[in-house]
Amino acid sequence: MAERGRQYLILADEDLISLVEASDSEAFATLYDRHSRVAFSLAYRMMGDRQAAEDLAQDAFLKVWRGAGSYRVERGSVRTWILSIVHNRGIDQLRSHASRRRTQERVEASAPRSQPSEAFTETWRNSQRDQVREALNTLPAEQLKILELAYFSGYTHVEISELLSLPLGTVKGRMRLGLKKIRNFFESRGATVPR
Amino acid sequence: MNNERFEDLKDAYVLDALPEEERRIFEEFLAAHPERQAEIDELGAVAGLLAFSPEELEPTPELRYRIMEVVEAEAAPRHERRRSVLAGLADFIGARGLAFGAAALLLIGLLSWNLLLQDQVDDLQGQVRNSQSQVDDLQAQVRNAQAQQTQTVQLSGTWAHQGADAEVASISGNRIVLVADDLPSIPEGQTCQIWVIKGDVPEPSGLFQPGGTQTAARVTTPIKKGDTIAVTVEPAGGSEQPTTDPVLSAEL
Repeated sequence: MAERGRQYLILADEDLISLVEASDSEAFATLYDRHSRVAFSLAYRMMGDRQAAEDLAQDAFLKVWRGAGSYRVERGSVRTWILSIVHNRGIDQLRSHASRRRTQERVEASAPRSQPSEAFTETWRNSQRDQVREALNTLPAEQLKILELAYFSGYTHVEISELLSLPLGTVKGRMRLGLKKIRNFFESRGATVPR
Repeated sequence: MNNERFEDLKDAYVLDALPEEERRIFEEFLAAHPERQAEIDELGAVAGLLAFSPEELEPTPELRYRIMEVVEAEAAPRHERRRSVLAGLADFIGARGLAFGAAALLLIGLLSWNLLLQDQVDDLQGQVRNSQSQVDDLQAQVRNAQAQQTQTVQLSGTWAHQGADAEVASISGNRIVLVADDLPSIPEGQTCQIWVIKGDVPEPSGLFQPGGTQTAARVTTPIKKGDTIAVTVEPAGGSEQPTTDPVLSAEL
């Protein structure tokens, strides 16, 4: 690897995003290599097939490239910002498709098997992911299902109410309790919610 | 909307689960009550944790290749723009350097403040040399990019008449990229689709969203002399066949 490329590896995400804003394609490539796996995984979870997930990830990363100047450090980490772009674009696409392929069955279907992580530096991120999963495991199934239908499948609370034949107030209540329980999970361990 | 309604909707808001109209009303209330933004950011961070929960999958190397191809194609023109700015800056600094040089000679003769003013002149000359070095470096990058870009064809059509400047470039003989400036924006839920038309048969050859002042997209179908390349506006995700008239096209 070239010396310059090695230098990028030691830069923080916030430094890299400043370089991306100045049209540094190597800095962008480093950011892509750091975050493409988690971004693609979210895209796949939302879109349900590889091709659509790749299209979504491409769309989102090009928005990162073209819109690096809109990143605000006070609103959260670069990683969270990238994931929010994937999520927002994914929601837009899911809602704009005339033939929605989102089904309750797909949400309930088991997620595909992961490929093993190779990078040692991913360890702390894997730990963070494990914590999030542990937090989600504490949720009752009916709360988790509603959070997933909203977050991953792009349903509005009204649509979820119709889909599950539940009063709208119940859907809102489960959203509230679900999010509160996740927050309590971290707070009970003396940790703040990662941002 | 009042505080009670805000409390009722904030969880759905951070999950992006409000219908359009409710979301608009919610955001209007939030804009009028900025003191509640921190609460929403905090709740949004909790909702955002869901993004970390899916099992991790590796994207294909082709995805990286496709993205970097667009990024590198867009990076070169941006560097060229920056070069123009730097060149202008160098001219400006150069002119100031001469002016300060003359002033320094005058003041040395008249006021014997030569040491102080000479320092200023040296400093400005250093800035000029530094700027010139950056300009030379950037010019070398541009020359390199131009050397690799072997052939371009200008696209015409309704968007060109509206001021868009689009061309298809063959880079290093095997990579075909569509590069455009000042494309009009398109409605949400639509995308630009590239077609390579061989005879009468259009082949889908890439999607892109017009973004900012400059756009670049890879043409995924190999082209040869006599083919036509065209761009249409299609529903998001693209179409199997063009459903609208081309907004840009060129015969190769």
